[in-house]
Amino acid sequence: MILTLLILILLIGGAAAWAAERKSPLWSRGIALGAVTLDLLLVVGQWAALRHAPEFLKPGAWLVETRAEWIPQFGVSFHLGMDGLSLLLLALTFFLGALSVACSWSEIQKRVGFFHFNLLWVLAGIAGVFTALDLFLFYFFWEMMLIPMYLLIVIWGHERRVYSAIKFFLFTQASGLLMLIAILTLQFLHFKQTGARSFDYSDLLNVAMTPRAAMLLMLVPEASLRFAPVAMALGVVGILYGAILAFAQTDLKRLVAYTSVSHLGFVVLGIYSWNAWAMQGAVMQMICHGLSTGALFVLVGLLYERIHTRDLRRMGGLWSAAPRIGAMAMFFAMASLGLPGLGNFIAEFLVLLGAYHVSVWMTALAGIGLVGATIYSLSLMQRAFHGPAEEAWSFADLSAREWAVLGAMAAALVWLGLYPQPVLHAAAPIVESLEKIGSALPGFFMR
Amino acid sequence: MSSADWIAISPLIAVAAAAVVVMMLAAFWRRHAIVAAASMIGLAVALFCVLPARSAAPRMVTGLLAIDEFGLFYVGLLLKGSLAVAAVSYGYLRARGRDAEEYYALLLTATLGCVTLAVSAHFVSFFLGLEILSVSLYALIAYTRERARSIEAGIKYLVLAAGSAAFLLFGMALLYAEYGAMGFAPLAKALKASGGANVYMLAGMALILVGAGFKLAAAPFHLWTPDVYEGAPAPATAFVAGVSKVAMAALLLRFLTQLGATDSRPILIALSALAVASMFAGNLLALLQRNVKRILAYSSIAHIGYLLVAFIAAGPMGAEAATFYLAAYMITTLIAFGVVAALSPRDRDADAMEDYQGLFWRRPWMGGAFVAALLSLAGIPLTAGFIGKYFVVASGIGSALWALVLILALNSAIGLFYYLRSVVAVYARPGEEAKAADRAPGFSLAGGVALAVLGFSLILLGVYPAPLLRLIQTAIASL
Amino acid sequence: MQTVWPLFVYLAAAAAVPAGMIMVSFVLGARHSDRATGEPYESGIVSTGSARLRFPIHFYLVAMFFVIFDLEAVFLFAWAVAVRELGWAGFAEALVFIGVLVAALAYLWRLGALDWGPKPFARLSHSRHKDS
Repeated sequence: MILTLLILILLIGGAAAWAAERKSPLWSRGIALGAVTLDLLLVVGQWAALRHAPEFLKPGAWLVETRAEWIPQFGVSFHLGMDGLSLLLLALTFFLGALSVACSWSEIQKRVGFFHFNLLWVLAGIAGVFTALDLFLFYFFWEMMLIPMYLLIVIWGHERRVYSAIKFFLFTQASGLLMLIAILTLQFLHFKQTGARSFDYSDLLNVAMTPRAAMLLMLVPEASLRFAPVAMALGVVGILYGAILAFAQTDLKRLVAYTSVSHLGFVVLGIYSWNAWAMQGAVMQMICHGLSTGALFVLVGLLYERIHTRDLRRMGGLWSAAPRIGAMAMFFAMASLGLPGLGNFIAEFLVLLGAYHVSVWMTALAGIGLVGATIYSLSLMQRAFHGPAEEAWSFADLSAREWAVLGAMAAALVWLGLYPQPVLHAAAPIVESLEKIGSALPGFFMR
Repeated sequence: MSSADWIAISPLIAVAAAAVVVMMLAAFWRRHAIVAAASMIGLAVALFCVLPARSAAPRMVTGLLAIDEFGLFYVGLLLKGSLAVAAVSYGYLRARGRDAEEYYALLLTATLGCVTLAVSAHFVSFFLGLEILSVSLYALIAYTRERARSIEAGIKYLVLAAGSAAFLLFGMALLYAEYGAMGFAPLAKALKASGGANVYMLAGMALILVGAGFKLAAAPFHLWTPDVYEGAPAPATAFVAGVSKVAMAALLLRFLTQLGATDSRPILIALSALAVASMFAGNLLALLQRNVKRILAYSSIAHIGYLLVAFIAAGPMGAEAATFYLAAYMITTLIAFGVVAALSPRDRDADAMEDYQGLFWRRPWMGGAFVAALLSLAGIPLTAGFIGKYFVVASGIGSALWALVLILALNSAIGLFYYLRSVVAVYARPGEEAKAADRAPGFSLAGGVALAVLGFSLILLGVYPAPLLRLIQTAIASL
Repeated sequence: MQTVWPLFVYLAAAAAVPAGMIMVSFVLGARHSDRATGEPYESGIVSTGSARLRFPIHFYLVAMFFVIFDLEAVFLFAWAVAVRELGWAGFAEALVFIGVLVAALAYLWRLGALDWGPKPFARLSHSRHKDS
């Protein structure tokens, strides 16, 4: 029930924020912030309440589950469930969601109500994706979140926004359709074997498949495992490729985007190393990457709002104009390069530790990625904040609201870096169950 | 004929009587509002008659009309669509300001043709329904006769529809010559007795498919579509695209299913070729268009391609998928053209992309409805189009039509491009000219209510399709 | 094939006759090219004006009305042949048929389609003023 409530709060909050625009833009901002914060509190409350529950450590159990008939003719049910991993990701989503409402407070000035409507519906879609246990429902939420996301880019984006929005949408939709075909095939095989139509993840998990079909579908862990060496190689390539491209960018935002590619390479590497350390690291990386990269994007937005450019060649010497922005950028650049004491360090260290048990070569190559991260992070700081000033910049430094947003993210990173135990604790059961599947199929496992 | 027979065909009789009444009103009490109200009441009465007709079903009336759950489902659907068209037409014709009354009589006769097609189980009623529909449509398409485009569209449709009717007749004649039967059920029996396909059967079926393909605007018989859609007044386009195609598809569904035609390999290949050609032709040609009505025309060609995938999938699942898809498609098309009609000024139709520039900010509800229709055509969740497309893909996978399903997915991606371009226009900042023309001359209360109901059903079917699916299952089971 | 060969012979003969006539006149015919050779009537008066006259719409209207109402008779003849077998039900159906046609006639009459005077369609153009 609580899961349905989480999604409903966001959907209704979005509609209310839109309607409240008539009264005053402040109202819609307030309603949006209130709705997301309420969700965040609910999730954190669940976390606190369930932390000591026996299910919390049992692999394969759902902490909270909701199920209702939806389209019985297709065997589709409204089935939501939450385990430790989705709890973490939901908390991250709502945390970042609340912060993005806060940091758009002064940046978004037109069509405020509709902006918050879209933002909250995106969050609702993401929350649905993280909790859906029915593959049809999963696909439904997945697609549902794309439209508001597309509108956010089209209406409030910067230059070339139509081009990038359509590109984004076409890519995600086309791949989404292939996913739909895969889901349907799985469903069809299940129907042929059991005579019952179902999209439920637990049902479809047990479908017997020929290895070739399984390779094509890859939605289930066993099939994924066969793909592991390829995926690990892709992860390593992503780490290095992202780092090199990030270094070569002159647009600040593109630079941050490529660092994100590099960081997500660690997630892929971690998952497919398929042991407890690496997978814990991958979970940590997902959360820390969300915080550190998110914060860097917020900083880019702050700078753009002030100096109306993202071109690194025109920047330089910004530190003297805005020392607080510079200090914050320094902090998150350090987080991004994996400074010990911050969450990213724990994440990357765990991933490398786990990957080392699987393949020394890949670990070594991924380790080079860390050097790359140092180079691009420091070069970012060097080019934007130090060095000679190209133009005589003078603009306001961080406001109290911006301080609060960035400070909250920084505090979270420090917390994760010094005391990651709660996250590792929450992710433990899912990691354990995945590891069990991995050890049951030793033949496919690369040593 | 027994009294149960009369009850069974009462929806058809109600529509026919309404047409005569409306014609008399047009002669003796020539008031636009009254004529429009009378035609809507007539359609509503016909819709109400579906209920008693259902209790009399299933029943063959005179060997021509099969009144069963399947037929009555489509009769209900078509009458609702026609009702929406009549409501949307009122504002459009009021803005045009002249000779509106005959339009409704033609709309009612066209509807009569549609419902006849939906229940016909015999070549004679098939052809009769088709001709009642076509002849009414010639006049409806050319109704705005002060516009050269409209007349051109009417003549194009006249020539091609007459040509396709000739193909159809020839095909029917071949089948009759070989099997000596014109009813679908006797024909199926004769077909089975003769043991499989022969040259006459294949040639006859091919010619009938050509004729039906023209009406459905399946490639390569689609050449008339963009011109007719562009030239016809927007509510008439809504009827051609939304209602008449559904009627033709319903008949084809009954015909192919009863004859078991999808067991025959050559027919399957022919249908697959039509489907693939329609998908690619519609989507690729739509990419080049800037005119909203032409974009919708090409998109409708592509949608017939998707629909044919469900036809090929066959079996109960394919028929159910096709029926749901048609219902979703009808609602979506009626919304899209309903918005076009509402925005159209006196002397032209609002079909330029500029007319939609920033529509969402000028008229949020209408802009929202238009975007919902576009997203439904693209098959995005929360809309009926998503469930429809999902169902078609599911039926295709159920029959292991991998190539067709992959082509469908590819085409959906292509299609997204031009739908999204239109969505961008609706959300763009309104241009200066658009601001100056900030009004919806063709908007009326009736049309607004119709659009609201259609929009609501679009979302409802996208979120909770289970009741409609149950209804469709009973309908298909009776086939 | 055995039985249809006379048909092909007949077709060939039918094609040969006009082809032969054209050939013979092509070979034997006199040739000249004068000022009036290209005119439609070489030996007559030179035509003036366009051949595309604008006929009054009534010409078509009357022709169409004739076809429509004349066809009614065809159906009624068919009914008359079987009037006893069809009984009262058939009578009622014929009555409905005639009724619809009478309604159409009334419509045409009210619209002024039957007025062949100088100002036809008076009612239609009248209503135009009233509605706008």
